[in-house]
Amino acid sequence: MTGFFIQRLLQALAVVAAMSVIVFVGVYAIGNPIDVMIDPASSQALRTALIKRYGFDRPLFEQYFIFMGNVFRGDLGESFIYRLPVTSLIFTRLPATLELAVCAMLIATCLGIPLGLWAGYKPDAISSKFIMGLSVLGFSVPTFWVGLLLIMAFAVELGWLPSGGRGPVSDVLGIKLSITSLEGWSYLILPAFNLALFKLGLLIRLARAGTVEVMSSDYVRFARAQGLSEAKVVGLHVLKNISIPIVTVFGLEFGSTLAFAVVTETVFNWPGMGKLIIDSITVLDRPVMVAYLILVVLLFVVINFIIDLVYGQLDPRIRVRAAS
Amino acid sequence: MKLVMKQGAKLVAALVLGSALAGGVSAQTLTIGVRAGPDSMDPHWSTLGGQAEALRHVFDTIVMADDKLQLKPGLAVSWKSVDPTTWEFKIRQGVKFHDGSELTAEDVKFSIDRIPVVTGPMSMTIYTKQVKDTKVIDKYTLHVTTKAPAPTLPNDFIRLFVVSKSVGMEARNEQFNSGKAAIGTGPYKFVSWSPKGDMVMDRFDGYWGEKQPWQKVIRKEIPSDPARMAALKSGQVDLVNYVPATDYASMQKDRALDTFIADTIYILNVVPNVKETLPKPAKVDGKDIAANPLRDAKVREAMDLAIDRKTLVRVVLEGLGRPANQLMPANFFGGSKSLPERPFDVAKAKQLLTEAGYPKGFEMDFYCTNNRLPGDSAVCEALSQMWARAGLKINANALNGTVFFPAQQKGDYGLWMSGWGTLTGEASYTYGSLAHTADATKGLGAFNKQGYSNAEVDRLLEEGSAAMDDTKRRGLFEKASELSMTDRALIPTVQLQTIWAAKKGMMTFAPRVDQETLAYEIKPTKK
Repeated sequence: MTGFFIQRLLQALAVVAAMSVIVFVGVYAIGNPIDVMIDPASSQALRTALIKRYGFDRPLFEQYFIFMGNVFRGDLGESFIYRLPVTSLIFTRLPATLELAVCAMLIATCLGIPLGLWAGYKPDAISSKFIMGLSVLGFSVPTFWVGLLLIMAFAVELGWLPSGGRGPVSDVLGIKLSITSLEGWSYLILPAFNLALFKLGLLIRLARAGTVEVMSSDYVRFARAQGLSEAKVVGLHVLKNISIPIVTVFGLEFGSTLAFAVVTETVFNWPGMGKLIIDSITVLDRPVMVAYLILVVLLFVVINFIIDLVYGQLDPRIRVRAAS
Repeated sequence: MKLVMKQGAKLVAALVLGSALAGGVSAQTLTIGVRAGPDSMDPHWSTLGGQAEALRHVFDTIVMADDKLQLKPGLAVSWKSVDPTTWEFKIRQGVKFHDGSELTAEDVKFSIDRIPVVTGPMSMTIYTKQVKDTKVIDKYTLHVTTKAPAPTLPNDFIRLFVVSKSVGMEARNEQFNSGKAAIGTGPYKFVSWSPKGDMVMDRFDGYWGEKQPWQKVIRKEIPSDPARMAALKSGQVDLVNYVPATDYASMQKDRALDTFIADTIYILNVVPNVKETLPKPAKVDGKDIAANPLRDAKVREAMDLAIDRKTLVRVVLEGLGRPANQLMPANFFGGSKSLPERPFDVAKAKQLLTEAGYPKGFEMDFYCTNNRLPGDSAVCEALSQMWARAGLKINANALNGTVFFPAQQKGDYGLWMSGWGTLTGEASYTYGSLAHTADATKGLGAFNKQGYSNAEVDRLLEEGSAAMDDTKRRGLFEKASELSMTDRALIPTVQLQTIWAAKKGMMTFAPRVDQETLAYEIKPTKK
């Protein structure tokens, strides 16, 4: 177990190192960040002084090693644009994204799996055809467009919900959350639903495909022959056996939702990390870009690690293999 | 019927959500949806437009600018030059900071001295570069000595915010963002802000100027255009800036909204590289040629003649602009009123190209931004089509600013278009950077990447920049404008216009030429 964990951690470090090199080289290839940040009316002398101050005059590998040296001391640096520690900049916005992503995943899972099970259990029913039609819409219609439609319908025309922003937040153990109040939910529900749509479509299709396959298998027939109720057959045997691919996709999707919720965040003006990273890219704020991507890599590694543990719980065969 | 349904729906919503949303806006609160916000609450951190606009509510500047960018008294009631290199500023008496302390010349001196210590990459030192030393003469008198005669110093000081001396040299962005050091003399007190978030302010009752009608002002940063427009239409904000041209027509018809249109200081200019050789050679009949065709004044004139500015405005910008014939509006200090409107004449353009030795035209690349100013990429593509009618094959490349600016700075482009706004309202800022020969030692021509150099223009600009007499300086700048524009050092195309939209009948609002949306210049409509 520990060996497995250490192996994963080493993999993560390798990915972080490779990724930071890519960002450094990428920014370098685009040009000098100072030319994007500087005031157009600045003199040449000022430009030279600023280049020196930020160390852009040093060779690229030197800039890189200075940065990585600081990272190993736990200092990810300061944003060029805000002159605030990058970590505090990211962590003030992390709760907003986390909240949005978790709600979106909850919506997608709580709706997607039952709907998918139903569609797979009764593949020929009209309701199932309807569900499958919806799922196609879910992942084929662009997120930003659905987002705009939701805003037009619920905020502009009906006036039921606010069109964007985060609304009031309250402190829960030092983390600012909006799920504690009804008004907070009124801000959260549209973007969360918008973000959930794609995953909803995906989970419906996965659950359905799995169910159709498993329903015709021998153990389902035996379970039925044994006289188990339909609810038990589907809820216990079918659900458990289709879980592996669903959990895999769930993990991947959760990671990408956290990291790349940017489209939804932009349309709904949600103050999350996605907006921060896009803004940082447009002004070549390199410390924020690198720190954010390091965080994303770590997120994916942690999520994958958890998923590996869950596999073991779901499928005894994997546990046995790992043990031997 | 639709209305009834809407009302019914609202009733349901009110029942479902309680009064949480219905009671959001009171008459005393002004909520503005802005496209861009500040990077810090430290007024000396950045020269970014959004930064100055936001911080003007909390901090005052020594000299202020009216809605046409002409100077008016701010924290200084008057200023005069006592000798060629010394300006005397008389500081307003009885001005209170938000912490109750009184403003003196010491605070002003502290603010000027503080800038080089704390400023970021968008360095404020461009406003103090002429300053050599500051000296407090008495409690309300400050002498600023300059390195050379500096007639434009008061113009530079319209962005010079005054902070309280009590914040100390050590205060940085963190102290300002938390509100601890954000103590100004402005009409509104700082309440809260975080990067890219809402900026909340309360009225400052001890303000020296006119009493403010708004109890609370909230500036919500909503960069996405559709999101900002939806926020207005759904009633989340009272006023939005930068309405996209595509929404303007429908908003004009919307009975729940008022719209305001105004000229901006931004002009889109075509910049021809006139250096000996182009970074990438031009082509005739598909073959590289050694010469740079843009060096020929006839070619530049032909390209100018081929531009149909009226069509650019009417079709490409959907009416939101006006043809430009110089780099800044003619009524700015040093703008020329005698320059003619630029004609559109394709036949003459073709003839000039033949005379210049390019009867079959030539081919080259043309670069511009696609996210910097409204309509930038559309204008760029339309220009390339207009030149095609004169027989030139100009390939338009609209790029993200992140890619465009570093490459332009490096001199990678032979022909490009960029926007320029005369933020200080006078000519030396614009022509000194764009049309003067690039000269790092003199600090002039910093943005003259096209290699234009005319000794007479240089002389006029330098002499003008040192002339303390306003009339004389204005005359010299006018000549420099006319000369460089006739040379086509840059080819101005269109001046952009911009739109605000607000809830119907809620406020009176006079747009500013610098596009700043300032709560203290907005008045509620008397009911």
